[in-house]
Amino acid sequence: MPHIEIVGITKVYEQPAAPPIVALDGVDLTVEHDQFVSLVGPSGCGKSTLLHLVGGFISPSTGEIRIDGRPVTGPGPDRGIVFQNFALFPWLTVRGNVEYGLAEKGIPRRERRKVAQHFIDMVKLTGFEEVYPHRLSGGMQQRVALARMLACDPQILLMDEPFGALDAQTRLILQEELKEIWRQARKTVLFVTHDVREAVFLSQRVVVMTARPGRIKEIVDTDLPADAPRLAVDALAEDIWATLREEVLKAVVPGDRREQAP
Amino acid sequence: MHATPVLRRALGLGVLKRWASVIALFALWEGVCRARLVDPFLLPALSEVLRRGAGELWSGELVAFTALTLYRTLAAFVLAGAIGIAIGVSMSLSAPLRWFGEPVVSFAFPIPKIALMPIFVLWFGVFDLSKIVMTTVAAVVTVISATHLGTRHIDKYLLWSAQSLGTHRRALFWKIVIPAALPAILTGLQIALPMCLIVSIVTEMITGGRGLGGYMIYASRFAESDKVFLGIFLTALIGYVLTEGLAMARRRLLAWHPEETVMV
Repeated sequence: MPHIEIVGITKVYEQPAAPPIVALDGVDLTVEHDQFVSLVGPSGCGKSTLLHLVGGFISPSTGEIRIDGRPVTGPGPDRGIVFQNFALFPWLTVRGNVEYGLAEKGIPRRERRKVAQHFIDMVKLTGFEEVYPHRLSGGMQQRVALARMLACDPQILLMDEPFGALDAQTRLILQEELKEIWRQARKTVLFVTHDVREAVFLSQRVVVMTARPGRIKEIVDTDLPADAPRLAVDALAEDIWATLREEVLKAVVPGDRREQAP
Repeated sequence: MHATPVLRRALGLGVLKRWASVIALFALWEGVCRARLVDPFLLPALSEVLRRGAGELWSGELVAFTALTLYRTLAAFVLAGAIGIAIGVSMSLSAPLRWFGEPVVSFAFPIPKIALMPIFVLWFGVFDLSKIVMTTVAAVVTVISATHLGTRHIDKYLLWSAQSLGTHRRALFWKIVIPAALPAILTGLQIALPMCLIVSIVTEMITGGRGLGGYMIYASRFAESDKVFLGIFLTALIGYVLTEGLAMARRRLLAWHPEETVMV
């Protein structure tokens, strides 16, 4: 049985005194267990909306999303999420943030501490346990968000442009770290990005979406061997970009004010 | 070791710098009186006021009055805080309460609440109760609107994050909304506290009934201007201690908040 089934999903945002926005229009997608799938597409194509639907934070206008065959009815700790803007709890320290989900699971304090420390070490934040998030750089905050999600041990990782707000160097390092974490932990990952090279480097399949209303244009197999030369990654990224390019151009018609779907 | 006197001097200078304007004002006050530029009846010298204060302290009456004002102020503050936070939170949680409450708060906000004092005297008598009720009513609106504003708009990504980490929908309010709104709630309380002191003293002035407000009004009737100034001095002192105490509590509670790390 596939891990995630997205069946005939449509999402329409009604707005007062304006035509409704069709964010997603008939999206079907199946993700197998332990697969790393990226969603790429022009801004406002609904890729984040799709991720939020899988997360159960919003509900579809039509269609259904199933996890292990069971329909999604709301958010749950089986699906961890990392947002582009980190969304750390500012009133908790790094340790407090990473321990939060463990406390919600009812794990006793001592055990909680041990597990949290493991993930804090994993994202290389050892020594920053008692620091509040606003003291950390963007890259460090994103690592905390990653550790907070992983500590809960969700089967599915949903990542919404997690490296979008980072500088180029931090981005590269975190991409490699994420790939390593995924290799070790073997999770199902749904990864939203607008960086095609990032998508090819990380994932086994890249889903290319159309400009709004978001539909799936093409699914590209990008499961390169771990030791694939950079050139192979670049060539594949080039191919996908060629497909994506016309959609991006469609999305930026001059004078057409498009906003990211809410 | 040699850093200690340097540090101490730096600290001393810091304190002096911080208080320079107040000290200068006091010096001016004293100087003007010593130079006999004003009638000592209209403006007694600071030293006279303090001497009077030292004398009054022995009588015990002033201490009792100060304690009474402090009691009324703090009782009203605690009531306004508890009721205000409860109402503000309820308005955020329930659409019907919001529908009912928002216009009422907007309407009540600009009213000079002290205008209700004659009514409260009729309802609750001239003693403690009417004064505390009056002060609570005056301060509660601020706490309600600060709490409501703070709890109404919370970053949805914080709520979503908590839910994906296993927080139940119903627990979100206490686990996420309240901590996220704490800065706004504390701001409301910080405005309410000096308001409580002001209104308490005004109610004492209106209805007598001892306390610092009553003390000043009586002194004024008997033309004891040094006692009036002593009352003002004490009121300012209490106000400073109370607000500073709350500011300290804020710094502790909001150690995580970016605003609290800005060096002044």
